[in-house]
Amino acid sequence: MSAAVQDDRAESIRMIRDSAAAVAPPGGDLKRVRELRFQDLGFDPAVFRDMGEMGWIGLRVPEAAGGAGLGLGEACALAEELGAALVPEPLIPAMLSAAILAGTPRLAPLLAGEAVLLTAWQERADRLEVPGTPDAPRLFIPMAAGATALLLPVREGGKLALYEHPASGLTIERTQDGGNFGALTPRAGAGTKLAEDIGPALEAALEEAALLTGAYLLGGMERAFAMTLDYLKTRSQFGRIIGTFQALQHRAADLKMQLALTRASIESAAATLDAGATGDARRAAVSRAKARAAEASLRVTRECIQLHGGIGYTDQYDVGLYLRKAMVLANQFGSAALHRKRFMAVSPEVEE
Amino acid sequence: MDAIRIPPPAELDRLEDEHFRQVVRAFLHDNYPEHLRNPPKRLHWAENKEWYMKLAEKGWLCPGWPKEYGGLGLSPAKQIILTEEYERYGVARTNDHGIVMLGPLVIKYGTEAQKKFFLPKILSGEHVWCQGYSEPNAGSDLAALRTEAVLEGDHYVVNGQKIWTTLAMDANWIFLLVRTDKNAKKQEGISFLLVDMKTPGITVRPIINLEMHDEFCETFFDNVRVPKENLVGTLNKGWDMAKALLGFERIFLGSPRQSGYALSRLKILAERMGVWEEAEFQDRYARLRLEFEDLKALFGVYVEKLKRGESLGPDVSMLKVIQTELFQKITDTMLEIAGENAGLLEPMEGNRDLNIGGLYIQARPATIYGGSNEIQRNILSKNVLNLPG
Repeated sequence: MSAAVQDDRAESIRMIRDSAAAVAPPGGDLKRVRELRFQDLGFDPAVFRDMGEMGWIGLRVPEAAGGAGLGLGEACALAEELGAALVPEPLIPAMLSAAILAGTPRLAPLLAGEAVLLTAWQERADRLEVPGTPDAPRLFIPMAAGATALLLPVREGGKLALYEHPASGLTIERTQDGGNFGALTPRAGAGTKLAEDIGPALEAALEEAALLTGAYLLGGMERAFAMTLDYLKTRSQFGRIIGTFQALQHRAADLKMQLALTRASIESAAATLDAGATGDARRAAVSRAKARAAEASLRVTRECIQLHGGIGYTDQYDVGLYLRKAMVLANQFGSAALHRKRFMAVSPEVEE
Repeated sequence: MDAIRIPPPAELDRLEDEHFRQVVRAFLHDNYPEHLRNPPKRLHWAENKEWYMKLAEKGWLCPGWPKEYGGLGLSPAKQIILTEEYERYGVARTNDHGIVMLGPLVIKYGTEAQKKFFLPKILSGEHVWCQGYSEPNAGSDLAALRTEAVLEGDHYVVNGQKIWTTLAMDANWIFLLVRTDKNAKKQEGISFLLVDMKTPGITVRPIINLEMHDEFCETFFDNVRVPKENLVGTLNKGWDMAKALLGFERIFLGSPRQSGYALSRLKILAERMGVWEEAEFQDRYARLRLEFEDLKALFGVYVEKLKRGESLGPDVSMLKVIQTELFQKITDTMLEIAGENAGLLEPMEGNRDLNIGGLYIQARPATIYGGSNEIQRNILSKNVLNLPG
């Protein structure tokens, strides 16, 4: 990439980060997030519409199809900013839906944020494959309580057709972060067919969703760690600021290294995909980044609680919200173990 | 290999990066002695002199020095490419303290007379340098050093002891950090002194390390008289000068190469021991492998910074910690799966790729030298995270 193109790219990513402030206040006020958690929907449909208006749902959709046509570098930067603010609206699942609605009349209302269309693809825990069994229950649909309709992939012959299925009859379970998972038992004949074969598009979209989830987790880790550093610099015990204790300093240094590795992993994976990697190279990059983000986010957030001591264990203090979010997202679109296995299945030899 | 023309040294800095890489490969292919590839231990001067003199003859000896002093004048980005290719080819380190440390010191702080006297003798191989920094009671706390230099007439009289003087038995000159003001704050009374090893009063005693190798020495100074013109730079400013010399080369302590080498040997060993296909081993290997891949990505972030002409901040310490601890984790795993072979003094089955115990021991000092990992974590917490006192 030439220097000029690199500069343009950096500018585009900076602009996306700035625009995130509309929904994710940089001051880190989590009042809105607290008000929404454990409520019926778990998110605010009006904010979801705002996201549509800002072009976020269609960020990855080509401009010709009504999207913004931006790269994963931009998408990861946005997800990271939203993660730092624990924004609960299901943007990543909506971006996945947008990727499989190309050429259908349902794309426009989704991109506008008017229809909350979530994809009911998952049939077993911790899987990234989509069997598309017609009548099998679909599980773990994130924030499904607010869905206006569901998108149902169904195996027909060698292809994966896509149906729109009513959102009625969902079973809703609450999640640790204050949101919810929906489960759907598909009803025969209840849906309208939208597309004949979305197989390859869905496979690619699941990978992007895994990477974006990693980026969202990175944002959360960064914010939780920043809160913890502030605490280490102000809390006093034994007549000293606790951040002067070497035992705590070294733990903080270890967490900083986890953040640096996670960022390097996510950003290099985004660059690899933006450069047009396909097949094994693409899978390896995504799996590496998601495995890292899943493990590191749990490690960093739980250590942040430990470094806070008792106050970190209270619901009123914000750092715990980051742990609960990591508990939900670490395994979404594949756990660390799944991604390690996937990486080993495709990874090339170590270069010497 | 296709014939690639190797341009004269003065033109190397102008090549495109990828072209430069090909030139380095061709240069090594044409010039590097085959029998010195991938030596299992650091070589002594008698063994690596052949390569040092070849580099000198070709004008390739000092990649980082400006051209006017006989160097190649390469940018940090090109020096990284050069180092990557040297490592890939298995090039042995020479006695390079004159090239890497003393030369840049003299170029930056030396007098014209010092430059004229010392630099050509490094380029010709006549002077082989070693470094006298650490002392028995000044390791991680280097500024606590006590070797003293007292001015008497036209000479400094040096008394004290240095330790971990790498390959001092091969060297004919040593550069010292010495205390020249006992009353100043500890960083402020230190100076740089250049000493001819033939001066009476110097004793060098090799130390056998855990590799059973005499890489390091203790060096004793008993009323050693050093001409006062051998002081470099300003009196009592040696500490600042030594710090200023810590340049982008710090990135090499975090080069993924060491871990990559160990990781591929771990795979060879796992296959030989029959555990490679086991799911439990696969997951362990995957963790190490992914740590390696992420380290490579992070290393790449710093290389990009250098390519953009930025200097490195204290956060580069992260690379060193991550790399060396990964290297150790890999060798820990090798030891664990090797069964009784772990205890063998020589490589298993005479195969250098199965040097289990050797690699395990080689991994130990990695977290100690170049600033121990505990010191690196102190740097990170104080200078990167800005944690107090």
